[in-house]
Amino acid sequence: MKLALVGVGDAGTRIVDRFVSREQATGRSITTGNILVFNTDDRVFEDTRTIPEERRVLLGDTHSAVKRRPDSADVSASAEGKGGDADRVHTGTHADTIDSYGVGGDPDVGATVAEADLPEIRRALDQIDETEVAATMLVAGLGGGTGSGVGSVLLEELNAIYETPVYVLGALPSTTEPDRRALTAARGIRTLVPLADATFLVDNEAWRHGTDSVAARHNNINEAIVTRLLALFGAGERDPEAISEMRVDSADLSRTLEVGGVATIGYATHELDRDDNDLFARLLQLLGLSNDTDDGGVDAATIKRLIRQALESKLTLPCAVTSADRVLLILSGPPDTISRKGFETGRYLLEEETTTVEVLAGDEPVSGATEITATVVLSNVTDIPRIDEIQRQAVSMHSLSTTDDHDTAGGSDSDLGDDEREDEVDPDRVLTDDTAGGEDDGDVDENDGSEVDNTNKHNAADSSVEAFDGETDHSFDFEAERDE
Amino acid sequence: MKLATIGVGNAGSKLIDQMIEFEVETGRNLCRHALIINTARTDLAKPENIPEDRRVLMGDTHRKARGHGVGGDAEIGAEVAKTDIDEIRRVFDDVEIHEVDAVLVAAGLGGGTGSGAAPVVIDEIQKMYDEPVYGLGVLPGKYEGGRPALNAARSLQSFVNKVDNFIAFDNDAWRSRGQTIEQGYEEMNEELATRIVTLLAAGEVDESEVGENAMDSSDIMRTLDTGGVSSIGYASTELAPAKQGLLSKFNDEDQSEDESTDAAKIKGLVRRAVNSRLTVPCEVSSADRALIVFAGPPEAISRKGVESAREWLESAADTVDVLAGDDPRPGSSTLAAVVLLSNVTETPRIDEIQNQAVDAQNKIREQDAVREEEIQSLITDDDNDLDPIV
Ligand SMILES: Nc1nc2c(ncn2[C@@H]2O[C@H](COP(=O)(O)OP(=O)(O)OP(=O)(O)O)[C@@H](O)[C@H]2O)c(=O)[nH]1
Ligand SMILES: Nc1nc2c(ncn2[C@@H]2O[C@H](COP(=O)(O)OP(=O)(O)OP(=O)(O)O)[C@@H](O)[C@H]2O)c(=O)[nH]1
Ligand SMILES: Nc1nc2c(ncn2[C@@H]2O[C@H](COP(=O)(O)OP(=O)(O)OP(=O)(O)O)[C@@H](O)[C@H]2O)c(=O)[nH]1
Ligand SMILES: [Mg+2]
Ligand SMILES: [Mg+2]
Repeated sequence: MKLALVGVGDAGTRIVDRFVSREQATGRSITTGNILVFNTDDRVFEDTRTIPEERRVLLGDTHSAVKRRPDSADVSASAEGKGGDADRVHTGTHADTIDSYGVGGDPDVGATVAEADLPEIRRALDQIDETEVAATMLVAGLGGGTGSGVGSVLLEELNAIYETPVYVLGALPSTTEPDRRALTAARGIRTLVPLADATFLVDNEAWRHGTDSVAARHNNINEAIVTRLLALFGAGERDPEAISEMRVDSADLSRTLEVGGVATIGYATHELDRDDNDLFARLLQLLGLSNDTDDGGVDAATIKRLIRQALESKLTLPCAVTSADRVLLILSGPPDTISRKGFETGRYLLEEETTTVEVLAGDEPVSGATEITATVVLSNVTDIPRIDEIQRQAVSMHSLSTTDDHDTAGGSDSDLGDDEREDEVDPDRVLTDDTAGGEDDGDVDENDGSEVDNTNKHNAADSSVEAFDGETDHSFDFEAERDE
Repeated sequence: MKLATIGVGNAGSKLIDQMIEFEVETGRNLCRHALIINTARTDLAKPENIPEDRRVLMGDTHRKARGHGVGGDAEIGAEVAKTDIDEIRRVFDDVEIHEVDAVLVAAGLGGGTGSGAAPVVIDEIQKMYDEPVYGLGVLPGKYEGGRPALNAARSLQSFVNKVDNFIAFDNDAWRSRGQTIEQGYEEMNEELATRIVTLLAAGEVDESEVGENAMDSSDIMRTLDTGGVSSIGYASTELAPAKQGLLSKFNDEDQSEDESTDAAKIKGLVRRAVNSRLTVPCEVSSADRALIVFAGPPEAISRKGVESAREWLESAADTVDVLAGDDPRPGSSTLAAVVLLSNVTETPRIDEIQNQAVDAQNKIREQDAVREEEIQSLITDDDNDLDPIV
């Protein structure tokens, strides 16, 4: 799927940068230059490798609440003198603490700054050609004042000007960070998820290894994120494309995500030892025993296991997989290795394990690949312990700070209380209506009738499911109901 | 028979492509017109035997499709076909319909494009022409899951209500072990193309070759006239080379003994065709009408054999409406029998798909009903203390 990437804050900038460099290295064309990064503190811009200067936008330059980094700060950055760009870059800007530069971690300042700089934001967005892409993704650390604050305003703007879906990729803070990051992240989730067409989340806590430096930790996570995003959005965007029987097309991904909410990604790979396998397969063929093995030497069990591994792998955001609403599976690898039986049983396994029937699956044949990868998207997962945890942390932080901050918090709270009560009633009513409608539709009499006067059609008719009828719009009422 | 063919969606297009490949390889001439329609630009590029200007991309301006498929959403498949129906009709305008006996529309019923768009296309064809329209539909396998089953169950209803006959192909009946995805579909498509082309191409032989036993297009159409769902069986045998082979040796020795072996062979071939894999497994006795085509060198088709095969099928299919005829293929080294079981009403696989579909539909409705509420409760803290940023 062609995708425009908009990074916000340090995390967003770094992830977009890495995405583009990996995209180039793996010969896929996904962003085709449609990238942009925004920040309120420009130090991280110097670390970027692939983002042209005119696509790095510094906001709040003249805003009083934004603290400019003095030039000397650069000079004092840790390994400055000692050598190569790469070294300096990846230790200098990563930290678990909140520094005072830019918006100093405050999302409300971030939002205010972005509102004030909307003309500049719009000018920058002109550099993205929406007609070239199927979707746009806003990338940010949700604990960031810039990421969540500027990000919220940017997302509103993107929603207003783009017809295509706008997704969010958000990193959740780890427990090593200040409570204020959790508060910002919890509010960020609350703001961004309803605005976005879908929100991919990555939990920095789940992906952290105890002893790593902050820089190493972030780099590893970013690498893992980019690998998964490339597997997902890059499927079918290779040149030249191999012929596929069950190709994943961008509509498969957008349909999986169209339910909204939070999405998470699982991923697993299987290294191929081509020579061994070929020899083995040939041997079996010679012995007339080749029935159990595919020509490429990868049997159904391996493929099924790989799909299970992807589902059970560390998801970008760990969650109860049974809470998934829709699922997408992409199997990528040399065309002669993807066992049909393995693919089918693996896909069925996803349906069973996630308890949803909306499972889309496709393959991406990559001639000459040395591994097979399974990528699984779980869309609209709702049982996510880490989000509850962040909310609790945020609330305890919040109650400490509300004493100084009466008006905003108190005022909006009661408004939202009302909204929520309405929301709680609505779905119930829809549920009853739907069930009743469903029972009426499943008209047994009608079915019997058709059996009597038209036996030849009995076979095809099951009146509990509706036909696609080109003449009446009956079946499309069904869709309309759902859309509303 | 002479056909205009339309493949809708990925599977439908591949099937039409494969039918053309088979008829070219075997010197038949069935598909006088071929058209493929899809919502995915890349899938449209796949077939090898369809001219460029006979490939129609629909829905490329649709907000959700944009030339990249419909992601298994049959509602959108139907919607884009309706929106772009003028364009589809325009391409079909070139078809000299009086030159063909019928129109065949092929689709995979598990996906979104084929299952949703094909019924819309069929409606349009029927508005334009009086010729019969036949459906050729691929039923998804059990392991493809609930959504494909739901698409298929709904689309099957539309198809069967609209077409003059629906020929079903069950992907589950045709799975075999040790295949890659590519091999799996290729093999199935070859098997299906062989059956459908061998059946429908009969009756297109050279005037000079037509004996009184030749199958006629009108016989095939009469058998298909029942409506409902049909299944096709097939069996073939390699013949020894005509001149110096066993057959001719026996011919010289004992004419009548040879004839009875030939007759037994023919009957055996038909039994095999019915008892081996049908395109969709069914209770043979539930067939309304049946028809047998023997395709092969005329000298290999024993009249006695044809008659006893026909009688056998009459009792097996429990119907007096059984036609049998030849598709003489002089010089061919194979003898094939293809059996059409028209309007079979006991097809366990279709019942299974319908059950799976009802379960899927219920589950989808449940999910739809709670979706917004669940998202709200996820993003809101327990006491709703946290306020959004904007
Ligand atoms: N900003 C940015 N940093 C990167 C990118 N790729 C790698 N790095 C960082 O550069 C430093 C050295 O790269 P490593 O990944 O550790 O090792 P490497 O093999 O040289 O590089 P890669 O395999 O490309 O990551 C690490 O701190 C990486 O995180 C990138 O695309 N953008
Ligand atoms: N995965 C990942 N997360 C990061 C990275 N850098 C920061 N984060 C996370 O993102 C959150 C926000 O940090 P930054 O991106 O530095 O903040 P910002 O958006 O620039 O906003 P400020 O608060 O104004 O600095 C932090 O709480 C971290 O959890 C990164 O490189 N990778
Ligand atoms: N027999 C056979 N079945 C196929 C083939 N390709 C796909 N299918 C089946 O067809 C169904 C999927 O339909 P497709 O034709 O791929 O989908 P589509 O109609 O293009 O619709 P979307 O992909 O949803 O836009 C599944 O049940 C597949 O198993 C094929 O080459 N042969
Ligand atoms: Mg910062
Ligand atoms: Mg398709």
